[in-house]
Amino acid sequence: MEKTLFITPSRCTACRTCELACSFKHSVNGKPGIPRIRAFLLGEGKNQVITCFQCDDAACVRVCPVEALHRNEETGAIEVDGLRCIGCGLCSIACPFGHVRHTAQSEIAVKCDLCAGEPACAAFCPTKTLEYRP
Amino acid sequence: MTEKTINLEINGRAYQSREGKTILEAAREAGIQIPTLCHSDALEDVGACRLCVVEITHDDWKGWKGLVTACLYPVEEGLEVTTDNAEVQRARKTVLDLLLARCPTSDVIRRLAAEYGVTQTSYKPSDLKTTCILCGLCVRVCEAKGASAIGTAGRGIQKRIAIPFKQPPPDCIGCASCAHICPTNTIKFEDKDGVRKIWGHTFEMVRCTACGQPIMPEVQMEFEAKRSGLSPEYFTICPDCSQAKTVETLGKAFDLESAETRSSS
Repeated sequence: MEKTLFITPSRCTACRTCELACSFKHSVNGKPGIPRIRAFLLGEGKNQVITCFQCDDAACVRVCPVEALHRNEETGAIEVDGLRCIGCGLCSIACPFGHVRHTAQSEIAVKCDLCAGEPACAAFCPTKTLEYRP
Repeated sequence: MTEKTINLEINGRAYQSREGKTILEAAREAGIQIPTLCHSDALEDVGACRLCVVEITHDDWKGWKGLVTACLYPVEEGLEVTTDNAEVQRARKTVLDLLLARCPTSDVIRRLAAEYGVTQTSYKPSDLKTTCILCGLCVRVCEAKGASAIGTAGRGIQKRIAIPFKQPPPDCIGCASCAHICPTNTIKFEDKDGVRKIWGHTFEMVRCTACGQPIMPEVQMEFEAKRSGLSPEYFTICPDCSQAKTVETLGKAFDLESAETRSSS
């Protein structure tokens, strides 16, 4: 784990380019995927970007009945094995931060996987709110 | 853990796989699709649907070749696999013909059969009025969840997915994983007004403490908390409200941070 995704909310303009980049990076069969990162306008010039914290002792990993969630030791990200996932939705309920999504659009759980070490959100963020660096 | 590398041939091209992998896994890793109905990566394979049949042969087998289920057959050194030829097509057609005879009303089976050119079954259609293909995914997923509430009963043409003594199964936690995994959408459940009905049970649902949206049956919450070792509170807030809470909490932290920056400058 050489690099970490740093978020500096004071630079965020909530332009949501990160969401768009994420959607495209995780598109399935040509359809844009559910963004694993979300940007929020909080008013009074405050904005917030949230994505998975990749917890050490993660609730999502603990509740999964079929071990479909596992940590990628190279990036440190917890990844979903889409073929193992049975779509029970427990991980999205158990995550105390709401970072795992499980919607009608995709039967399987989706969460930030740091794009296997090349996060698209950080590459496209125009204000350097998102940085992937050591 | 060092797994032995296995060299095999799929559709005339050389590929590498690892010892213990099945032909299906090796083929999918190579980007070759093999149709399946009863397979899930999460569950143990049983070879129930027979749709994944492929032809195998080997240099040492003196010309012998045969059809095997790709989901169960382990890869071996020098194996030559053919995933699609006339013989494989014929076998899959027969499988789909039989499935269509059993489940003439299943849209999934009809669509799949039509892909292989079977639009009408050549057997006498069953009068069971079922869309269940007896793949056993529901039973296996129930076991994986740790509930083991449903099973199969009977043999041969009597075989069916069943609940003990035709009563609402006492071990059922109402998770509906069986319904979600069913390839032919045979298992039904109903979520209405914070109540889930499945397998003859009526489960009260836990509601999100923030927005009131039903999350999961109360019985399931207790079960999952015990199994994962997490506090039941982890299961009482819906993902949307969890996310809103995170944004709010981080927003406050941001306020504090900017206040500090202002006071220090």
